[in-house]
Amino acid sequence: MPSPSALRWRSVRPDAIAFREWDGEFVVRNEQSGSTHLLGALGGQVLHILLHADAALSSADIVIALGDEERPGYAPDKCATVDAILQEFQRLGLAQPESP
Amino acid sequence: MSSVADPVVLALRNPAALASLSLRQWEALIAQARRTNLLARIAFELDDFGSLPQVPPAPRVHLEAAKTLALAQADAVRREVAYIDGALAAAGFPVVLLKGAAYLIACLPAARGRLFSDIDILVPHGALANVEATLMLHGWHTSKTAAYDQRYYREWMHELPPLKHAKRQTLLDVHHAILPITARLKPDSTKLLAASRPLSGEPRLRVLAPVDMVLHSATHLFCNEDVGNNLRDLVDLDNLLGEFAKQESFWSRLIARAGELDLTRPLYYALRYAVRVLDTSVPPGVLRQADIGRPPSMLRTLMDALFLRTLLPGRATGRLASLARGSLYVRAHWLRMPPLLLAHHLTVKALRREPVTGNG
Amino acid sequence: MIVADLSYGELTSRLAYGGLRLRTGPVVTRIQSRLSNVAQGLALHYADHAVEDAQGFADFHVCVAPPRNLRRWVKPQVYFQFDGASPFLPLPADQAFPMLEWGLNWCVSHHCHQYLIVHAACVERSGLAVLLPGSPGSGKSTLCAALASRGWRLLSDELALLDLVTRNVVPLPRPISLKNASIAAIGRFVPDAKLGPPVHDTVKGSIAHMRPPADSVRRAEERARPRWITMPRYQSGAQARLVPLSKARAFMHLADHAFNYDVHGRRGFDLLAQVVDGCDCFDFRYSTLEDAVTVFDDMVRQV
Repeated sequence: MPSPSALRWRSVRPDAIAFREWDGEFVVRNEQSGSTHLLGALGGQVLHILLHADAALSSADIVIALGDEERPGYAPDKCATVDAILQEFQRLGLAQPESP
Repeated sequence: MSSVADPVVLALRNPAALASLSLRQWEALIAQARRTNLLARIAFELDDFGSLPQVPPAPRVHLEAAKTLALAQADAVRREVAYIDGALAAAGFPVVLLKGAAYLIACLPAARGRLFSDIDILVPHGALANVEATLMLHGWHTSKTAAYDQRYYREWMHELPPLKHAKRQTLLDVHHAILPITARLKPDSTKLLAASRPLSGEPRLRVLAPVDMVLHSATHLFCNEDVGNNLRDLVDLDNLLGEFAKQESFWSRLIARAGELDLTRPLYYALRYAVRVLDTSVPPGVLRQADIGRPPSMLRTLMDALFLRTLLPGRATGRLASLARGSLYVRAHWLRMPPLLLAHHLTVKALRREPVTGNG
Repeated sequence: MIVADLSYGELTSRLAYGGLRLRTGPVVTRIQSRLSNVAQGLALHYADHAVEDAQGFADFHVCVAPPRNLRRWVKPQVYFQFDGASPFLPLPADQAFPMLEWGLNWCVSHHCHQYLIVHAACVERSGLAVLLPGSPGSGKSTLCAALASRGWRLLSDELALLDLVTRNVVPLPRPISLKNASIAAIGRFVPDAKLGPPVHDTVKGSIAHMRPPADSVRRAEERARPRWITMPRYQSGAQARLVPLSKARAFMHLADHAFNYDVHGRRGFDLLAQVVDGCDCFDFRYSTLEDAVTVFDDMVRQV
């Protein structure tokens, strides 16, 4: 079973998502699930990165894209946080890991 | 057959006649259309006809509101079908969509303006246990926990007790036959499944063959205890016939299949009432051939009285009709209410009637 | 013509036969009932509401009536009927008027998809509206009754109707329902409030209705722009204060409290986002109505 950080993630297709941001918080409506969600600052940014990515991304890729330290190895907490966010996205139907 | 007492039938048969309605006549039409679950259907018909903008503003808001609701429900059904498809994806058996969900995913005109209360699927009898287990793994629960209800469905009806998804609160009826085990007629489900068609763009989902769709609709109409949706179901039938009649040798295949599946009686009634109530185009030769399913004339007179009462809403007065209408309204409209409002709905949960099993 | 222009005899006659065609904001309902508590409730609470003539269009047909079976006389019950069918279980006959009120709410919340409908009280001052989404125990109706009695115009007690195009609130002024301790609280706060007789032992406890101010009813055609979203919470002993609420959270509150948010899909999302754009959003804690009204008045003055 691949460790969470080894998975590569894709969001639902961008045209299915309606997105609004106020003061660093986000509300998101997913046409595919019909559900609406409140995301915090980091969650919103992660989703934004996934929506605009051409390829599937790992949590390490996302940490880099977030503009933090260049070596994910030095930021295990941030990676773990992003992993948790991605798991939550999967539960909500906002993103899926790609089948290997 | 149509009369001023049946504005809904008039609206369906002759939308152009609506241009001259008074406000009070619109009021009666809107109320009756809501009662028969045909308000959105009429709204779309008027839209197609180009006459929706000419409807006076007061009734028009109801037509527009009904359209909005129907479109939202169609989206919800598409999503739910995707979830069902995903859950049963690994299954080795065919999953056939029935009724409303089938019309919608197959892009048939019968889907327009439809309101949904649940989704119906047909699976082989032998796969029933497997289907139930798989669906429960994916979050569906049985909704009738009383032992009597469980037995009623499993032993006597043609379906599992209705399933409800725990998170989405959506309803799913899993059938293994199109009529109860206890019914007199016994159409062979294996034949229905064998003749089922794939849907373009869908790798796994299937629908019944056109003649079977018509026969299922006819059977549902004339062998079903829930009388509330009869006119709506007849309208479905009229739509299906109108669409499939374009296919080569459809009529002769329909007659042959009715004989093969032992469904000549429901087909006889279906064609009889579709012609009499909705002026459906059926070639006279076909009606003569369908006569093979004709009941003894005394029974037919009785059936005429009964069905025309439930099919023509204007005639539907009195206790039977109010019971019928009661059963129509207890079925919840099928969009999720936010959890907060489910908990403390204005009308208070305690006040609400338990929804009766839906009809798709 | 308004209900007060009818004699009681004429009122009961219309209710018993062809129906009373009552206008409440944008909605006309044909009401039929032979029950005296229904007629009395209508006479008291809807005195200022317009009665439409028989040639117009009624949006809904409702009836509050006893059943035909034994429960007509033994522990009498009543049904609410909509187009001849009964969406609810019956209630004891003394609850007929609250049942009518619940039923009228149901008609709108289940059918009026020409609006996005939020379960919220709404009051207006200086052309600007406050939305008060209603969680249980929030005291929204009590607060609404207090504000409506102190210079705020009542737009609605339960159902805030948002116009899909303009995003303005469409008024639906109707009696304000008060429960349990709120009945006495409003009785004290508004000495000349027109309160109907309380009905006890309902599923919500004791219920009484306060007649909407005549001015609110007369100005039902005047729409108002939402300017504040305020989540009320009654808290015993708390000092009345507005605590800023993030717009994203206010959005979620509106969506959670909207009856037909899902019906409007993407359009509903955009509509609520635009409403939130234009509003200051708060959580509101209060214990005394006097302080609450003061805070709201200050809120308007600061604009």
